[in-house]
Amino acid sequence: MDDARARAFREHVEPEIEVMLRVALSLTRERADAEDLVQESLIRALRALDSFDGRHPRAWLLTIVRRTHLNMNRRRRPDPVGDWDVLGDQRPAFGAGTAPSAEQAHLDATLSSRLTDALEDLDPKFRSVVVLVDVHDLSYAEAAAVLDVPVGTVMSRLSRARNRLRAALGPEFLTPGRPA
Amino acid sequence: MKQSLRQMITCHWTAKRIQRYLDADPSAPLTAEEVARLEAHLAECERCTRVTEEHRVLHRALSLWPGAAVPDQRSVERVRSFLDELTDGSRS
Ligand SMILES: [Zn+2]
Repeated sequence: MDDARARAFREHVEPEIEVMLRVALSLTRERADAEDLVQESLIRALRALDSFDGRHPRAWLLTIVRRTHLNMNRRRRPDPVGDWDVLGDQRPAFGAGTAPSAEQAHLDATLSSRLTDALEDLDPKFRSVVVLVDVHDLSYAEAAAVLDVPVGTVMSRLSRARNRLRAALGPEFLTPGRPA
Repeated sequence: MKQSLRQMITCHWTAKRIQRYLDADPSAPLTAEEVARLEAHLAECERCTRVTEEHRVLHRALSLWPGAAVPDQRSVERVRSFLDELTDGSRS
């Protein structure tokens, strides 16, 4: 590989390392596994660079992460769990990760725990969309790439998921200052 | 309070577009006309304004949700080093 291609690859990939790790962590739940998954994905992405059209590098890379994850799971376990059970099954790792930032500390503890309960009550296919778009800030198209569904499916699931969360939390949590 | 049929129709029309309005996602943008109609409706409809506000607060709460799996900086650094090796190694 020549310098120009190496540079182009690095320019596409470097800004996406964190989001790749976020998605990988959602899939694997273990930090070491997430790093392995991203590294394996980078090797595959480099191999597939010629077929990449240069647009939407994040969606391209996240598609590779999803496929690599499926492949690695197939290799490790003959009977893989449903691929999106994992993503849908996130639990807050209190105390396990880094300390919450000053801003995170502002999320009201009661709202936070109500939100966790409400997310857990969602069907995994709805939960995964809301986690990718609202928690991890992916676009509709990027979430569609991760979940391997059409953008329209992302939109309809997202809409239903949010409306269910709104209903579960209720106006007293979402707009406490307003008269009911 | 009694609502006009016209207003009910606009509420329904608005409800179907509030999330796209707030997300402003490149895959599903509202037209300028749709945005204008939606904002004009929000200016006069308390109920739709409340729904919009709930969506805003919900999104913000989710973006701050501590259950999110956030990679630590050392993971990011290790992957960045890996990327360097991957691209430098093939340079020679
Ligand atoms: Zn209305």
